[in-house]
Amino acid sequence: MKKLLKSAVVAATILGTSTAAFAEDWTPPGPIKMIIAFAAGGGADTQARLIAEELEAAQGWKVIPEQVTGKGGLNAVNAVKDAPADGTTIAMIVTSSLGYSMVASKTGSPQDVTLITTTAGTQMGIVALADKGWKTLGDVIEAAKGGQEIRFGVMTPALADIAYVIGKENGVDFNIISVKGGKAVTNGLNAGDMDIGFGAGVQAKAVAAGDMVELASARSEPLKNSPDAPLLSDYGVDFVSELAFLFVGPKDMDPAARAAIASAIAEVATKEGGKANAFLMKGFGGAMILTGEELEATVQDAYDSSGALIAAAAD
Amino acid sequence: MTDLGTLDYIWLGILAVFQGPEAFSLLGVSVSITVMMVAFGLILGIIVGATPGLGGVIAMAISLPILISIFGFNSDALLPVLGFLIGVMKGSTVGGAVPAILFNTPGTPDAYMTTLDGYPMAKSGKARKALKISHFSSVTGDTFSDIVLIVCAPFLAILVETYLDLPEKTALLILSLSFIAAVVGGSAAKGLLSCGLGLLAVYIGTGEDFYPRLSFGSAALSDGIPITAAVIGVLVIGAIFTELENLWHQKRHTGAIEVAKDEGDQRLHWADIRQIFPHIGRSAIIGTIIGALPGVGSTLAATIGYATGKRIYAKKKKPEDPEFGQGAPEGIAATEAANSSVSGANLIPVLSLGIPGNTAAVFLILAAESIGGFNPGPAVFKFSSDLNPELVIAFGLFTTMILANLLNWTVGGVFMRSLGALVRIPKQYLLPVVLLLTLASLYVQETSMSAIWFAFGFGILGYFMMRFAISPLPFVIGFVLGGRIEDTARQAFSATGGDPWFLLKSPIAAAFILCAFAVIFLSLRKPKVDIT
Repeated sequence: MKKLLKSAVVAATILGTSTAAFAEDWTPPGPIKMIIAFAAGGGADTQARLIAEELEAAQGWKVIPEQVTGKGGLNAVNAVKDAPADGTTIAMIVTSSLGYSMVASKTGSPQDVTLITTTAGTQMGIVALADKGWKTLGDVIEAAKGGQEIRFGVMTPALADIAYVIGKENGVDFNIISVKGGKAVTNGLNAGDMDIGFGAGVQAKAVAAGDMVELASARSEPLKNSPDAPLLSDYGVDFVSELAFLFVGPKDMDPAARAAIASAIAEVATKEGGKANAFLMKGFGGAMILTGEELEATVQDAYDSSGALIAAAAD
Repeated sequence: MTDLGTLDYIWLGILAVFQGPEAFSLLGVSVSITVMMVAFGLILGIIVGATPGLGGVIAMAISLPILISIFGFNSDALLPVLGFLIGVMKGSTVGGAVPAILFNTPGTPDAYMTTLDGYPMAKSGKARKALKISHFSSVTGDTFSDIVLIVCAPFLAILVETYLDLPEKTALLILSLSFIAAVVGGSAAKGLLSCGLGLLAVYIGTGEDFYPRLSFGSAALSDGIPITAAVIGVLVIGAIFTELENLWHQKRHTGAIEVAKDEGDQRLHWADIRQIFPHIGRSAIIGTIIGALPGVGSTLAATIGYATGKRIYAKKKKPEDPEFGQGAPEGIAATEAANSSVSGANLIPVLSLGIPGNTAAVFLILAAESIGGFNPGPAVFKFSSDLNPELVIAFGLFTTMILANLLNWTVGGVFMRSLGALVRIPKQYLLPVVLLLTLASLYVQETSMSAIWFAFGFGILGYFMMRFAISPLPFVIGFVLGGRIEDTARQAFSATGGDPWFLLKSPIAAAFILCAFAVIFLSLRKPKVDIT
């Protein structure tokens, strides 16, 4: 047994190093199309474009970003899954595209694509303009109980469900407005079209400037910029939004391409002083790189657990 | 970071244009890429304007995908590309007058009225003077219009954001579409048809549902129709097909073109300017007002400017002066100032509301959407104390417009007067080349053959629309705005707690909807002339 294990380790090492060697040699057979599942101009889009720009500079590849938005990232998944698997098409999506969106639409599974690498997590919080006068989500619930109509901006179907559950657990009805991208939520808040909304992290600047407040953390832990903001569990809500941005490729992607692209993206995302790294630092609490089996397990976990939220929001 | 005020934003916008990435340095002064691109755009615009059969739209359609593939997709690319398009837009209205004056052939449709007085002036040996008058009037009108844009757009945007809620915004979008459908083209019914087809096309494969709607299970349709393919197909390829067919039918006029020799004084004197200036001023105001309404084009502005000028001129002229239509410099001034002053004002609804009013605006929106980082609409004009990059781009855009005008004032006139020969390019060679270039540049941007097939399909649609005198403009604007209308309506519906009557509950929204119906109703009642 021990011997078998040993040889397995050796084999794995050889395989690992040979892929790594492949990865070093790998060059894309043409320009790489980078599908972006997020609306132009938002935080996630900016992140993807900065990575594209730095990949071009660092690797000498040609990267062509293309927006394929909508349907919680499924449009982007559909656009990438049957593309040539030679590394010339990748897509930046968010983990919930392979989780909640797939479960809710009853189409596809995480195995439809090849997972490449995550870039960053999110600092998902519930935000409002500071001049509304609310300090926590509790103030908003009080206002709603007092008869005020509250418009709640969300950017994914999963967040819409969470918003609904928050209302349900606290005996109020929010008017939930679905928009495309966190930028649209920020614009909606600024224009007075919405009262509160989810922010995935790009609100950091406005929060620091005192223009916006984070009313609650939608993560399982407190937000980096507003450590005192309550958690959703304080309001009887068992669900959180632990999203991570990730790059995927077509199904059965060339392993050399996968490894090369993963390490190239990880390099630019973590390079100190780089534009992409600085942006991730500012907006999303820094780079977070997950690859290989660890990534596959995380994504599968999110897929498996999505059913509970859907069920909670359905009744 | 220190707080940013309005003046800081204006200054940052100007800096963004002049201190952008350097193209080359001239005698130690560095010239930014944006400045260079504005100049290139202007020159290209004047050339295509002066070539009958080509125009600003074709030039923009071909150059946009090429420019995007050169400059890439980051926000540094915005100002050079948008500046280039603005240069083309401004150049083509100036250039259109050249063949109109010299050869009685308008280079662009809106220069038709220029032939009425320009050609008689040229025949009587005053060609250079006519060109100078046309240039002076054109650039003056354009500059005036830009100033109105720069002053009005931010206020209008702030007004919209302050006073309009989601239901009102939805109603405003519906009103703009119905206005465009009613005023563009031969009849309101045809306008509505065109607009409806545009909406139908954009709703294929889009939407919030998890299945691709209207796609009949076809994989090609399930991702929706690429916007560039649809717009270029209907507008440009459709127009090329129509032109080719016209050539087929009418044997080309091959007679030698008559060129009169210049005689006497060709200079533009201060007295001349004083004489034509009231006409320029009046036409500039007319053109600016018309330009600010979405969908109403420069040809109508030229017609109204000319007609108004003619009426007033007939009362005031001295007996020895030529009539309008017999070589009156005032006629050229009234036309050119009116058609050129449309271009700046046309951007008012684009920048403040995100609603494109003409084809040039559609290409600016296309450019902004393809590159990313700039979403024309009211949210641009948020004067936040920490940096709002979109606002900097907006002021950068204004700077490129002023820059284009300055270039137009200085070198544009000289360049324009040297382009008389372009009228001789035979269309039967020109059109196939343009078709090929258009398709090639589309492929450069979309990198898929399906985009080419879509463009071809929409080209055939555009051809039939033009054959049946249906303007393609409502189609294109419907296509561009369709997604926005759906999103805003969905949001308004949820924001009002699922009220199905949200469009009629607030007085402003109800008034907009009432106007939308009234516009269609009124234009269905009265017989109309083609004004595009």
